[in-house]
Amino acid sequence: MSPLDKITLVNQVQPWYGEIPVYGQYTFGVAGERFFREIKDNARIMGTVCNSCNLTYVPARLFCERCYNKLESWVDVGTKGRVHTYTVACLNLDGSRISEPIILAMVQIDGTCGGLVHQLGEVTPDKVKIGIPVEAVFKAKAQRTGSILDIKYFRPC
Amino acid sequence: MSEKIKEWPGVALKDADIKEKKVLFTEWRPNLKYAWDTGVGYGRYFEGLRNGRIVGTRCNKCHRVLLPARAFCEWCFRTVDEWVYLKDTGTVNTFSIAYTGTQAERLKEPRIPALIEIDGSNGVGIMHLLGEVDPKNVKNGMRVKAVWKPKEQRQGAITDIKYWKPFEEGTR
Ligand SMILES: [Zn+2]
Ligand SMILES: [Zn+2]
Repeated sequence: MSPLDKITLVNQVQPWYGEIPVYGQYTFGVAGERFFREIKDNARIMGTVCNSCNLTYVPARLFCERCYNKLESWVDVGTKGRVHTYTVACLNLDGSRISEPIILAMVQIDGTCGGLVHQLGEVTPDKVKIGIPVEAVFKAKAQRTGSILDIKYFRPC
Repeated sequence: MSEKIKEWPGVALKDADIKEKKVLFTEWRPNLKYAWDTGVGYGRYFEGLRNGRIVGTRCNKCHRVLLPARAFCEWCFRTVDEWVYLKDTGTVNTFSIAYTGTQAERLKEPRIPALIEIDGSNGVGIMHLLGEVDPKNVKNGMRVKAVWKPKEQRQGAITDIKYWKPFEEGTR
């Protein structure tokens, strides 16, 4: 049998199965740590203020990306904002159809620079428009873990 | 650190900070399962091992044995000509006495990885382990023979050979 002859019996070849074990941990950094602690412990969304640029960043960060100033002034920015942009997802990550479409939105908190990528709730896709006012709905305190998912979703207000 | 910088500012995270959940973090464990299609050459090589044989191919242009078997000679840029079935004996080309395992654990009994030139291959070596030998007695040039797993335990893998043990010419 020549090496180029087709293999006709499946038991003459086999795939080689393997698995690469990879595990990662991502910590949020100094500003991220405090930002998520405030969400977890106090259900508050916090920003940091750059006085020279007159901007409040949400999510809070440690440095101003425009002037490189260190940002040390923290403010509670409230839970209300506007839909900056959105998309309606009808497929799961594996390509299967979602029974109830998910509305993914970038929400810009009022008076701040930046935004939070999240979901919209208590609303149907046909009612969503760019610019509609929304507010954060938090999970109960006992269920909050210090994650962006401690906010259940944003709903129209 | 360096000449100029003796200490970086800030407080570094310690393992304990993560273990005791003093800081928030997210975890990530991707699913990286894969199946590699071994193809004609390696497919037969692995299947050969399951049957207790070492399978290579020969290129008649450069007169080379390719081991593990490949369908293509990368020296001559052509398809190889035939299958070759090699003996499960060889010669230790080089070896190491390892007191550290694959997980960096300390080993009381050392493992002896070795490059073994397979008889009839014109010096092609495969990486494997030596066994049934006192580390003190291992020498380059030592003649060795494969010790196979029982047939029902073989999986079509290089580990179907348990290890290689010294042998005298003319014995089994
Ligand atoms: Zn600034
Ligand atoms: Zn060749």
